Amino acid sequence: MTDIITFRRATKEFRGNPAFKDVDFSLRKGEIHALLGENGAGKSTLTKVIAGLYSLTSGELLIEGEVRTLASPADALKAGIAMVFQETNLVPSMTVAQNIFLGEERFFNRLRGINILAQQHLQRLNFHVEPTTLVSTLGAAKKQMVEIARAVHHSARVFIFDEPTATLTPEEKHHFFELMKRLKAEGASIIFISHALEEALAVADRISILRDGALIVTDDARTFTRQSIIQAMVGRQLTGELYGQARGARTARSPGSAVLSLRNVSMGKAVRSASLTVFAGQIAGIFGLVGAGRTEMMKIAAGILKRDFFDGGSIRLGGKAVRFRVPRDAVKHGVAYITEDRKLDGIFEAMGIAQNIFMGALMKHTNPASIITMREARECSAEWIEMLKVRSISENARVVELSGGNQQKVVIAKSLIQNPSLIIFDEPTRGVDVGAIGEIHQMIAKLADAGAAVVVISSYLPEILSLSDRILVARQGRIVEELTVDEATEERIMYAAVH
Amino acid sequence: MSQGGISTGSSRFFLAAQRSLRSQEGIVLILAAAAFTVFSFLLPSFLSAGNLIALVRSVSILGILALGMALVVIARGIDVSMIATMVVSVAWAFVLARTGYSFNAALLIGCLFALTAGLGIGLLIAYGEVAPIFATLAAGSVIYGLGRTFFFQLEMQNVPPGNEWFAEIGRASFLGLPITIVAFAILCLLLHGVLTRTRFGWQLYAMGSNPAAARTTGAPMRPMIIAQYMISAVVAYLAGLILASSASAINARLFNSTMIYDILLVVVLGGIGLNGGNGRVRNVILGTVFVGILLNGMTILNIDYTVQNLVKGLVLLLAIIADSVVNPRDEQTSQQGDL
Repeated sequence: MTDIITFRRATKEFRGNPAFKDVDFSLRKGEIHALLGENGAGKSTLTKVIAGLYSLTSGELLIEGEVRTLASPADALKAGIAMVFQETNLVPSMTVAQNIFLGEERFFNRLRGINILAQQHLQRLNFHVEPTTLVSTLGAAKKQMVEIARAVHHSARVFIFDEPTATLTPEEKHHFFELMKRLKAEGASIIFISHALEEALAVADRISILRDGALIVTDDARTFTRQSIIQAMVGRQLTGELYGQARGARTARSPGSAVLSLRNVSMGKAVRSASLTVFAGQIAGIFGLVGAGRTEMMKIAAGILKRDFFDGGSIRLGGKAVRFRVPRDAVKHGVAYITEDRKLDGIFEAMGIAQNIFMGALMKHTNPASIITMREARECSAEWIEMLKVRSISENARVVELSGGNQQKVVIAKSLIQNPSLIIFDEPTRGVDVGAIGEIHQMIAKLADAGAAVVVISSYLPEILSLSDRILVARQGRIVEELTVDEATEERIMYAAVH
Repeated sequence: MSQGGISTGSSRFFLAAQRSLRSQEGIVLILAAAAFTVFSFLLPSFLSAGNLIALVRSVSILGILALGMALVVIARGIDVSMIATMVVSVAWAFVLARTGYSFNAALLIGCLFALTAGLGIGLLIAYGEVAPIFATLAAGSVIYGLGRTFFFQLEMQNVPPGNEWFAEIGRASFLGLPITIVAFAILCLLLHGVLTRTRFGWQLYAMGSNPAAARTTGAPMRPMIIAQYMISAVVAYLAGLILASSASAINARLFNSTMIYDILLVVVLGGIGLNGGNGRVRNVILGTVFVGILLNGMTILNIDYTVQNLVKGLVLLLAIIADSVVNPRDEQTSQQGDL
């Protein structure tokens, strides 16, 4: 038998709710196995069981044909299994070499010895990382390399990658795939979770698709198409391609008055003399690779970040020059910024859905002593819950218990309830399940149709192309290209973004 | 245990019991009931009406201070300067009254001093962006040092003579309840109203739950922070006045006692998470009553003060451990993470 990892009727429950149920899964020796599924389908939990973070509620986990229970990640590493997380598990204040040898320090350590060993190790793997640099100064791809080097150093034979390419630039992605192939050639087995279906199709040997905690299908990657994967993931034929809304059939909205204009706005090294204009009744899509400064530009416009005090450029909102010190000023002027990271600055975890949405209305007004009741909150948010089709098990469910898509809808409603005239969506469908993406896109289009100025920041080209009327491309802290929807193609946008 | 005996009644009782076991609040309530039962059996004098009133009265000062602390903690802050503000503002008011100011004017100046102290701390945290624990820790020392250096020399400051009405507050009772308890009850009602019914209260929860999200949504973060610390300072001043009227003096040495930790004990035991965003007035009441039962029972049992502190510490540890066992921090079930 060539299976290195096998699940037999495996079930994992959290407080009686199954994350996955009766799953029979196998990972062969020396294969790249892509694990796909909507958010909450159970992919991450499944791999975390393999990595020793959770143990099964029922069923069996076999490693090389032996029934095993892994009590901890350290246990799993001993068995040759290493998991590389979405957020890497490195100590930022230590050097690359120290990180590789983390956990096996001797009582007295000679830095030079470690550096030499690490250098040899990295060279053998053909990784171009200097062992003496601090991890905090490395980019996402390099950090991943260090993590992989650490795993190889611990003689791992099974690698689990959870969304490894989410934070990488195209070039870095290319390197990463090369690396996966090399690991495979050396006999390692790889499980790889991703939301980018094309990647899975291109790289994987086999593909498994999970839906609602059940394993729907496992088969050779060759037998799948993009369409058949989506179908298996959502369990229904999507009406029309998700992003495909044939661009020819759609005419760009004509621009209204200029709502927001940035002139030579600068902020440290992140934003360098950026200029752009956003018009009412239109969707402006901003594309750029990670680190291009698109989020920062818009956060400056929304008052969340402050532009340089000297030579910071000028911002005009509705024709008037403004300088927002805090987001509150911007909110009062009708600017809404909808975050790319819900957990960080989007949702109030401890509160219910209605309360979360109502917070938007609550914050906009001033008198701190005005009386608020729970009923008012419910009534106020009910129409938004209805309009955005926020689905939850119970009305009082806390937001943490919702799926990614529904959380995103709550965050959107929280901003829209403030009745903004300029709405900035930063990665509106990141971590959102396929079903909800379409609904969120419709909502965004409806806002622009109603006359609001809308900005959509996205690093997913099909999303930019299907939503925007004008496309702005950011690179190295400034806007370098402006295209109308008719002239824009994926190639032209990408060309502007990387060169 | 269920008195009803009807099947639906008892099943509802068990459901409620099960649910209460899932929260720290429930655990503390059960512990409090257990302590109450044990003490009533062990100590014949414990259950007398006189002792019960004495019990609540002795801890209502602690309770009032805990109300101020709770407001700050809910918004993810902490105020360890409360005792310093309390002793210095009250003692200074008494000194001023004895040096010629009218008693009312002196009390007003004391109040203004507390407000100024709160304002200063708030500015430090809101604009200086100093972490609340350090800002208030340092501010506490500064306030106490200022007081002892410039405002008064003696640790013990008596209530100025000729103000019988003031001393009366500590002794008088309203509808058979000592004024101290009545004051605690009124403040509880007031804070409850603020927390559950006003925009300010709701914004406090939002700030505590996710400060970054509150900021992005447009909460007036800086004014809110300043308001919190001013309120907690005034609450401390009020607590100091009530304390002084029942003891007919204020002892500045309280600053060096474990009182601030007792306040935190009440807040944390009651179930107001130090992570912010959680907790209500009933948690403060619960914490106050439980700590009251413990302290009173141990005092009647004549347990040594040091041992009492040990017991308090152990109880706090137990409550926190029980909480983390019953509500494990699991990525899939609660994504709040630890601070």
